[in-house]
Order: sequence, then structure tokens, then C-alpha cells
Amino acid sequence: MIRIEGLTILLESFHLKDLNIYIEEGEFHFLLGPTGVGKTLILESIMGLHKPKKGNIWIGEKEVQGLPPEQREISYVPQDLALFPHLKLKENILYGIKAKNLDLQNYEEYVQALIQVMKIGHLLERYPANLSGGEKKRVALLRALAPKPKLLLLDEPLSGLDPSIKAEIQQLLKTLHASFYPTVLCVTHDFEDAYLLGDGITIFIDGRVEQVGKKEDVFLKPKSKKVAQFLGLKNLYRAKILRKEEPSQRLILGVNGLQFSVPKSLYQDKIEVGSEIDLFIRPEEVMIIREGKPVKDSLKRNIFEGEILDITDRGRYHVVYFQTKIGKIPFEISIPNYTFRNLYLSIGKMVKVALREESLWMMT
Amino acid sequence: MVGAAVGLFVFYFGLLASLLFFTSGKGLLEALVHPNTLFSIRLSLIAATMATFLAVLIGLPSAYALSRFEFMGKRILDTFLEIPIIMSPIALGASFLIFFNTPIGELIQTKGIFFVFEVPGIILAQFASIAGLATRLMKSSLDEISPRYEAVARSLGSSPWQAFYRITLPLSFKGLLASVILSWAKAVGEFGATVTLAGAMPGKTETMPIAIFTALSSANIEKAIVLILILVFLGLGTLYAVRLTGKKYRYD
Repeated sequence: MIRIEGLTILLESFHLKDLNIYIEEGEFHFLLGPTGVGKTLILESIMGLHKPKKGNIWIGEKEVQGLPPEQREISYVPQDLALFPHLKLKENILYGIKAKNLDLQNYEEYVQALIQVMKIGHLLERYPANLSGGEKKRVALLRALAPKPKLLLLDEPLSGLDPSIKAEIQQLLKTLHASFYPTVLCVTHDFEDAYLLGDGITIFIDGRVEQVGKKEDVFLKPKSKKVAQFLGLKNLYRAKILRKEEPSQRLILGVNGLQFSVPKSLYQDKIEVGSEIDLFIRPEEVMIIREGKPVKDSLKRNIFEGEILDITDRGRYHVVYFQTKIGKIPFEISIPNYTFRNLYLSIGKMVKVALREESLWMMT
Repeated sequence: MVGAAVGLFVFYFGLLASLLFFTSGKGLLEALVHPNTLFSIRLSLIAATMATFLAVLIGLPSAYALSRFEFMGKRILDTFLEIPIIMSPIALGASFLIFFNTPIGELIQTKGIFFVFEVPGIILAQFASIAGLATRLMKSSLDEISPRYEAVARSLGSSPWQAFYRITLPLSFKGLLASVILSWAKAVGEFGATVTLAGAMPGKTETMPIAIFTALSSANIEKAIVLILILVFLGLGTLYAVRLTGKKYRYD
């Protein structure tokens, strides 16, 4: 277990107060936040290159805050990789083992296994220049993992890559993690990467942690509007609690005259009639009802009629822009292509949509 | 525009060619093997090398600090490094003379080393005029090497010193070497500060540039020309050496 507690950095350009991150052993943890919020500085503080104003770091039961970087057993892969250009790949890879005066024999088998997973065995005698972007990334990861660090820090490992290389590196990171279980803290601004690779996610916006959780929870149940907006979530509405329906344990919410019916159990905080909350539904969870088809019970309570304003083709799916007749509330609806073809939609057509009520999410 | 460049070339080349107008090979050779000439050549090379050594000894850590760290007064320090570059050399030498007449200066001279009109004075004057430049040049060589390399080396278990000599030093070596060569060349050619602080005593403190000056004032044209030519060839050699170091390493 890695614990980073109360990390506080106060610089002219950057304020961070009481950042806590907890990472289980073998977890692939993401620190997710918008670009330009000092994520690199956070990594440097964890490594010990930057002295934070305040904060403690424990690796297991050992406190490492007072130690210099070379004694922390925290490896680091910067965004620019920083492969040593004057050293052969083999020397790059073994740098950590040699610098720490470790017995190479004890690591031989492990390093060989890493080389095999990374598929760079044929490159070992070469210098980093003229390697492909993907190859460089492999070497940098290998170099960081070779001395068996207690924590591996990755700085935006997937940004700025060509789509094909990106897919390759994603796959590689997955394989790597599945084969060797390193404990990883990865900073990124890309939610998709975090979702694909991560176990746990710490979302960090404007110098503070907004949400910590398993990736699915963060994705489906953002805790605040800030998180929802950062994640690029569509269909976010300011709703007023109109009344409670006691027998059915439901809340009736109003958005510009349109009424939503939501099970009370979805809302954790204290409910006050008349107060305002944020209501959110993922574009994949809005269904367009096919005429003549029976509708499931869970969909029946929130059916709205409206018009299709626009349709865009996104390759694997279509996005339909829909507006309700009552209240003129816009919805973004994403529909897989095979479903889209059966719906015969066109711009200007009047249709009915249904919301799956478990997919509605409320937050203050 | 090319014409202007060619004109400039003709201008300099003609200037150097004119040196040969007054001379015979025999006269030049005689001037060259004269003990005082040989002495100034040797003195110049030794003093400049010592001054450069000192400038690197102090300049390299300073350059590293300026390149890598933020600290109080960094800006002021950085500006001060330019003082010997913009200050008239004679003013620099005169400042030293005045300094060695203050109580502290006198104490240094009586309890330590004599500088005024002595060889250590030459080294000190040359050191003063190149240390700022050397630091500046070395700093820009170090600036070219991303601190990220050291960050990674540190995370992999290197101490700050190991990270420097295993990573940053080899990576910046060519730039550092070029800085050293240029500083050395400037030290060899230093005149104003040296002559003011160390004087112009033949066979004692007379470096090559100073010897040119004294040769001219005693109308010894051949000696002046020999020394000028040696300085020119040293200069060209230096430029060539720097050009060689400028060639980018290809690590493949």
C-alpha cells in the first residue's frame, strides 16, 4: 500500500492543498485531471525531486518523505521518456540495477522476462536514436521496471501518440501489468486511458481531489458537476425537486417544465423539496423507442416526445441530437450503428425517447 | 549581400597578408628563436591554461547551479558574470591594482601570493576576464541537456553527483569542451588587464600580446609579426577545434 497524505505544494503559479492518494499494492492507479494543473510537479514531489511544503509518503510501513530520490525505490517514466542517448539500450535498461549496486544475477531472469514481454530483444545493442516511438516507450518502461521499484510513476504515457502506436502502448501496458503487477501511479488528462487501464482513479481538479473511486463508479456516478464536466459528460441538467411521492418512494424533478421521475434511493444526500440539484444521464442510456414495440417497465416512467435536430456519424456509432417538445430540453443520444439502422431516423422526425431510471444520476 | 561578405573577407585577409610585406624568412626565424620570444610563448600558454583550469574549476559548478536551480540573487549573479565581458580590460586590471592596495589586498600579498607585477598576476587577470564568459558558455551547454535525464537517473538510484558524471557530463561534454577552448583562446589573447596588473617585464611577465606591444614600441617589427602570426594560428586552430566539437554526435 502506498499512501500519499496531505501533499501540499504552494508555489506562485501553482497551489495544491492536502492531496491524498492511496494505492493498493499491484494497483494501476490513475491521477486524472485537466492539463496544466501541475501533475508533473506532483510526481516530482512524490519522487523527491521537489520538496513540497507539506506531506508524507509511505511505501508500506516505511516513510520515505525525508529520503532523497535515489533511496525511495520509486521509478519514473517522464512524458519525454528521457532515454539516455549516449548509452546502448542494454545499458539504459540495466542503469538502475547498476546504480543501486544490486546483484545483476538476481535480476537476470526477471529482466529477461521483461525484455520478452516488451519484444525488444533484437534492439539491445542499439542506441536510442532512430528507434520508433513505440520502441522508445517500451525501453523506457523496461528501464523503470528493471530494478523492481515499489512504485512506478508514469507521466501521460499515452498522450501525443499516433492512434496506432497508442493502441499498441495501451495493449502493452495492459500486458505488462497483467504479467508483473507493478504498483503504478499514472497521471493523465485523458479519461479514456484511465478507464481502459486503471483500477482506481483519483480525480483532481483545481488543486483538489474531487473524487476517488473505482473507474466504473467515477464514470457512471460523478460526484460533482466539475467532475462530470471534466469527464466531458453530456446531458447534464439543473433540476428542481418538485415533490416526493411517498408510496412509490420516488422524486419528481422538474427541468424547464419537463418532469423526471427518479427513485429516491438514487439520491444519497438529504432531500429538500424546492432545492436544486444536477441531473445527469449518459448518452448511451437514452433510448429511442421503436414504434409498436412494447416498452419495459423500468423505462415507462420517463418517456419524452420530441424532435430530432441533427444526426452525426461517428464511425462506430451515431450521435442523435434530440429536443423535447415540452421544455425544449436537448439530449445527446449515442446509438450503436446496428441499432441506428433499424430505427430509420431522419432530421426533423418526431420520436419518443425513454430514460432507464437506474442510469439517471443526481448530484449537488 | 554576398558582395559585402566577400568584401569583409578581403578586408581581413588583406590585413593578415600585409604582415608579410615587411619581412624576410630569416628575420622572422631569428625573432622567433630569441629567448624572450620563446619565453612569452611558453608563459602565455602556461598562464592561459592555468587561468582556464581555475575558470572551469569554479565556473562549472556555478554554471550547473545557474542552469539547474532557482536561488535568491540568481539574476544579479547572472548579470555580474557579464561584467568582465563588457568592462574595459584596462579598467579590470586597474581595479585589481587598487584592490591590492587596500588592507585586505595587502594582507593577501604579504601573507599569501604576490600578484602585482608577478606571474600569478597574469593568471589572476586572465582568470578574471574569462571566468564570467566560461561560466556563461558552460551554462548554455548544460541548458541544452534536459534536467529530465538526471531526474530519471536519480529515480533509478544515482546520487546527484553520479547523475551528473554518468549522464549530464557525457551528454554536454562537447559543448563544455568548446566553452573551455574558447575561454582558453580568450585568455591567451588577453592584454589590457594583464599588462595593468602584471606589467610588461621581458622574461618575467611578458605574455605574447604584451610582447607584441613592447616589440612595436621598440620598432621590432619582425618580433611583432612572428607573435601576431602565432596568435593568428592559435586562434584559427581554436576555431577549428571548436568546429570539430560542434559536430553532433550520432549515437547510432
